[in-house]
This record gives sequence, C-alpha cells and structure tokens, in this order.
Amino acid sequence: MPDIIVKPASLKELWKTLPGLPAARRYLAGGTDIVTADNAGVERSECWVDISDLPELAGVEETAAALVIGAGEKISGLERSAAVRRWCPVLVSAIPHFASPSLRNMATLGGNAGNASPCADGVCALVAEGAFVRLELKGKRRRLPLKDLFTGPKRTALRRDELITAFEVPKRRHAGAYLKLGPRSYFGISKAAVAVAAELERGAVKSASVALGSVAPVPLYAAGVSAWLAGRPLSAGTAVEAAARVKAEVSPITDARSEAEYRREMCGVLLERALLSLAR
Amino acid sequence: MKKDILETKKGNFEITVTVNGELKELSVKNGEFLLDALRRHGWKGTKKGCDTGDCGSCTVILNGRAVLGCLVPAVAAHGGELTTIEGLGTVRDPHPLQEAFVEAGAVQCGFCIPGMILSSKALLDRAPRPTEAEIRKALDGNLCRCTGYVKQVEAVKNASARLAGGKRKRG
Repeated sequence: MPDIIVKPASLKELWKTLPGLPAARRYLAGGTDIVTADNAGVERSECWVDISDLPELAGVEETAAALVIGAGEKISGLERSAAVRRWCPVLVSAIPHFASPSLRNMATLGGNAGNASPCADGVCALVAEGAFVRLELKGKRRRLPLKDLFTGPKRTALRRDELITAFEVPKRRHAGAYLKLGPRSYFGISKAAVAVAAELERGAVKSASVALGSVAPVPLYAAGVSAWLAGRPLSAGTAVEAAARVKAEVSPITDARSEAEYRREMCGVLLERALLSLAR
Repeated sequence: MKKDILETKKGNFEITVTVNGELKELSVKNGEFLLDALRRHGWKGTKKGCDTGDCGSCTVILNGRAVLGCLVPAVAAHGGELTTIEGLGTVRDPHPLQEAFVEAGAVQCGFCIPGMILSSKALLDRAPRPTEAEIRKALDGNLCRCTGYVKQVEAVKNASARLAGGKRKRG
C-alpha cells in the first residue's frame, strides 16, 4: 500500500488536491483489483486517490435518452436498481457472474473499466449494451463509445488524471444475455464470456451487438458478427452461422486459465446459446 | 466526529470508527488494512484467511454492506460504521444466526464462520426469507474447507424462519 492515501470529498476538491500529490498516483475505487495487485507487488503507486465515496460518481439516473450509471456506484447497488433491470438486460444477466457478493459490495463499473482487463464481466456487458463512457479531467469533459476506451490489456485511452465519471446506456427496448464459461458456476474468472444485446422485431433481429471477454487483448466488440446479425431471423440456423463467424473475430491466447483453441471454440458455443436464449 | 484523519506521528493515523455501536478512536498504521487493524485492536473474531479477497473469512459489515477487511485500507474506514462478529451476540445471548449455525452442526474448525455469519446477516437484512438458491448465492464468496456447505445453508434457512417469527427448530 502506498504511504499516501487521500480521500477528497467532492470532484471540485479532487481537482484542487491533485497537483500537490506525488506523480505516481492512481485512483482507488472499490480496491478489489488495485489492492490485490498491490499485494502481488505489481502495483507500485506512491499515492492512491480514494474516490469510492465521491457523491458525483454515485447513483443511477434516467435522462430522456439514456440511463446514466455513476462510475462509483457499487455493483450490488446496480443489482438492486429497477432502472438497471429495465434498461440493461445484458448487465443484469452479467452481474451474478461478477466476483462474489462481498466483492460486488465494493467493486464499481468505473474501476472495472479503468482496470481494463479483457476478462471484466461488467465492462463486457456494457460494451454489448452500446454504452458510452463519460470522462472528466479538471472540469473538462468528454465522452467516448466505451469500446474505444480500451487500447490493450490493462491499457486505456484515459489521459493522466482523467477520471471515469459515468456510463450512458442508450434507452431502447432490447433483449440481452451474458454467458460466461469459468472454472465453476460462480466466483471465477472467465475462460471466455459472450454478451449479446439485440433489438427484436417479429422473430427477427433488428439490430445486435456482441461483445466478448477473455478472448482478445481488450473487452472485444465483435463488429462483424454484430452487423451480420441485423435483419436475420432469430433462428437456430442464424445462431449456428453467427457462431462460426464470431470465431474468426476473436484472438484468444493460451494462459493459466485456458487454451487458445478451446476458447475460440467456446466463443461459438456461447454465442449460439446466447442467441437461442433470446429466442425463447 | 473529527473531519479529517489526524496524523499523530509519522506512519500512524487516528481514525474515528463506530465499531459494533461504540464510537472508537483507533490508531492505524501506514499501509495497514482494516482486517489487520481490527485484529491488532482486539477484534480477533475477524479472521485472516487468504488475505487476497478470495476466501471471505475477513468479511465485516461496513456502512451496511458486507465487505472484505483484507481489501479495505484501514484509513478508508474513517468515519464509517462497522459490525464485526463480536457485535452480533454474546456467549450467553447468541444471535439467532449463531444459534442456528451451532444447532445445524455447520461449524467444524470454525475459521470461516464469522465471515459466513456476517454474509448471512447481510442477506437476511436485505431479504428476510431467502430461497435456498439466494442463500447459496449470498455465501458463494465464503469458502469452507471442512464441511462443505449443506449445513450452513440449512442454518441460514432455520435462522431466517426464526427471525421472521417462525417456529423454533431444535437440531
């Protein structure tokens, strides 16, 4: 743990405090990634800026066009949010697979995205939801499609000190599924995960977005198969063909959790199952 | 309550925390996690298992949420409200969850039990009559290396019935 931990009470105070802090600083949200990295000796900041209770980052809010999810809202808070249940079917389906209940009481989507692990369940779900991410740096704000935030494993397009403040999920009627293949049903890290959001109309897919976890250097938006699905009937044939196509879009590696070829194969299996679950 | 954490001497901080209903001023060390600070100050019911956020034996309830003491920097608990296993019941007057765990034979070595019971309490506070599936999900971050989980699930079911005013079951 670094020698210095500061906990500003507001965003305004945060921007005022930052310039006086050591250069090697990081934001601390739920701490569930950063603290374990620190324990393992791979996190060596001189200062953590504790943003876990910043009021500006909390809560879930509905605007006319979007659901705005505070980057600091705990995953367990989202689990119990009626608005999230209504507008984010993929995220709702992913949350039970997100770590354990006590970790969900600590972890946040902002931290999940900032950590930029390709296996992040919350992020993968949000990419399929077509989410945008709101960023702020000393009062200057910008907004990116979430899929563009990730530039590599544990690497993001975030500028120095830039803070993830919220996610915007466009409000639309759609179905969603999140299927994760891990070492056990719950509380594991995925070997592969598939998130699907689809607008359905009379048994056909009007539009779809497919995202995958743990099978590419970043939480992957599968643009090819997402576009291909649009306008197709939601049938077993479509699911099989989509499964074949998605395998060409992923670039899994062999590591401690699984093997590349198995992962590629499972992406097909999971996508096929996910699409068929939407048809039911 | 003091507004800011006060540095008493280099590497030591005074934090104000409500522990089991009592307002306490605790001196915590630089780099110390909540789990270690609690144990050092005598709340040894909070167990140190894996120390990596996996096993759940250090579960405590901080500001109404079951969290893992091994992942919370002690200074981050400043101003917070904390429940440890010591806050649930006494030897003479145990909490219904504690009784139910004993009666169901859910306790073998006992190391995981404080965390199990606090996770169960957080569940029952939120959902007084959980289904078996909900109980299993609520406990999926608490590992037991002795018994497996059948008896603990049974214990939570019995405690929930008792707390909700149901019939008292004797094991």
